[in-house]
Amino acid sequence: MAIQTDGIVIRNRKIKSNYFLLEIDCPSIANETKPGQFVMLRTSENNHPLLRRPFSIYKSYSTLHPRKGKRGHLFILYKKAGKGTQKMSTFKEGQKVNLIGPLGNGFILPPLPSPAATILIGGGVGMASLSALGGTSGLGELYVFIGGKTKNDILCENDFPKGKVFIATEDGSRGQKGTVVELFLSEIKRFDRDRPHHVYICGPVGMVKSLSNVIKSKKWIVQVSLEARMGCGFGACWGCVVKTKDAEMAYRRVCKDGPVFPLSEIVWE
Amino acid sequence: MMMKIAPPLDLSVCIGKLELKNPVIAASGTFGYGQEFENFMDLSQLGAIIPKGISLNPMQGNPPPRIFETNGGILNSIGLQNPGFQVFIKEKLPYLKKIKTNLIINFFGNTQKEYVELARRLDSLEGISGLEMNISCPNVKCGGEIFGSDPRVTYRLVSAVRKSSELPFIVKLSPNVTDISAIARSSEEGGADAVSLVNTFKAMAINIHTRRPELGNVTGGLSGPAIKPIALRMVWEVSQAVKIPVIGIGGIMKAEDAIEFILAGASAIQIGTANLINPKTGIEVISGIKKYLLQTGVNRVQDIIGLFKK
Repeated sequence: MAIQTDGIVIRNRKIKSNYFLLEIDCPSIANETKPGQFVMLRTSENNHPLLRRPFSIYKSYSTLHPRKGKRGHLFILYKKAGKGTQKMSTFKEGQKVNLIGPLGNGFILPPLPSPAATILIGGGVGMASLSALGGTSGLGELYVFIGGKTKNDILCENDFPKGKVFIATEDGSRGQKGTVVELFLSEIKRFDRDRPHHVYICGPVGMVKSLSNVIKSKKWIVQVSLEARMGCGFGACWGCVVKTKDAEMAYRRVCKDGPVFPLSEIVWE
Repeated sequence: MMMKIAPPLDLSVCIGKLELKNPVIAASGTFGYGQEFENFMDLSQLGAIIPKGISLNPMQGNPPPRIFETNGGILNSIGLQNPGFQVFIKEKLPYLKKIKTNLIINFFGNTQKEYVELARRLDSLEGISGLEMNISCPNVKCGGEIFGSDPRVTYRLVSAVRKSSELPFIVKLSPNVTDISAIARSSEEGGADAVSLVNTFKAMAINIHTRRPELGNVTGGLSGPAIKPIALRMVWEVSQAVKIPVIGIGGIMKAEDAIEFILAGASAIQIGTANLINPKTGIEVISGIKKYLLQTGVNRVQDIIGLFKK
């Protein structure tokens, strides 16, 4: 159940170039979240910027504090890009931040027994929710494809100790030169088309769109976590919709009906 | 010495024959169907709830992107997406009816006939306290604004709908007109019990890098703090132009904003955009109004309506 609550900033540090990691003490959300869910974070109390910003929950864990008892920390991996994230990058330890969460449906985990293979494909901060997923058990053999413009945009590569990690950068500064989609295509022969692999995707729309053209196997179960500009994040405003094949209501809310959808349900316009 | 006991605060206001326990209403289109907010607040504390607008038939809405933030405001082009009357009464109304506050249904049509038919059907339902007729959505081609920009068209529509429903009847006005007071007067003459204003301002934004509009629909409606001073001026003007109650809407983020609208002449106010940012805004505005009354030694919120002096 999503709630609105204040969290306390534990740490907020730059991890590389424009990427930051924000750790917040917020037990009521951190202890309730599952991979693929997100929070709406208010970056400013004086309405500049106005709307909250959506962020995937990167990690969360429960801790026991000697005085305060059971606590829960959640982590947000973000890129300083616009007004909101600019403001976030100035958050100081001990500062209060208002959150709504956990929001959205989250990923559906592969059913047991574990599948032959689970494939994660992501780019930029899209890796945050895939990292949360990669830490769960019952994924079978784990393959992780990470893409970015340069080596500075490659995130979470060390988050998958049990997985085989492949990296691509558009400028060739790390891993294979090219997009993560091209990288995945060059390795696709590893995966049997007729076995029910589970594929999870999170990244920029362009990446997701071209992956939907590449993944043709009907046996694969492909889930995509979508990014969208959001108004509220909890289903009230209908601002963040995506077109789907749903006959009754084509435009579904990314925040409430998603952010995770079966890739085959999305209609690309 | 005897302590003087102050009489309890009276926050109630009247919109025609509809009495609200307080003047704070959740605005249509920003409050979903109520249920989306149940985790965040006690819905029954609001003076009234106006769920997302409904039409006779389902509407699929506009292509995304539908929302874009500007300085102090939000552009939206949702396009009145809704499941239509039948699904609304089956899936949304049962929950809304159970909330112990007034339920005002916002509705719209493509033609006068559709407006009248929908009002007639809503009139026959139980658990509805009033109607708010949308003649002001800037995001749809037919319907919406076309009925809210010509005083004669407005008059014809309002009087036709008036005849088909006994319910307290509010007309929601567009600010995208030359003279909003003229439209308000036509609504009054047509038999409306109140007018609510303003809906969003037609507006747009362009991405200079892609050289494309930021909204899929090119234009949208601007709401939020950016529009408050204009909305306030319009509420003030309209409240002088008509005798029926005026409901103030436009960028109310906190109690002080709401009080400004009430002082300008609004009998009640609606919270819109702020619901998306802080879902508890309505509740906070109610307690802020109480505090203001206590501090200023006024017992009844009704006594400050239009108290603003030039």
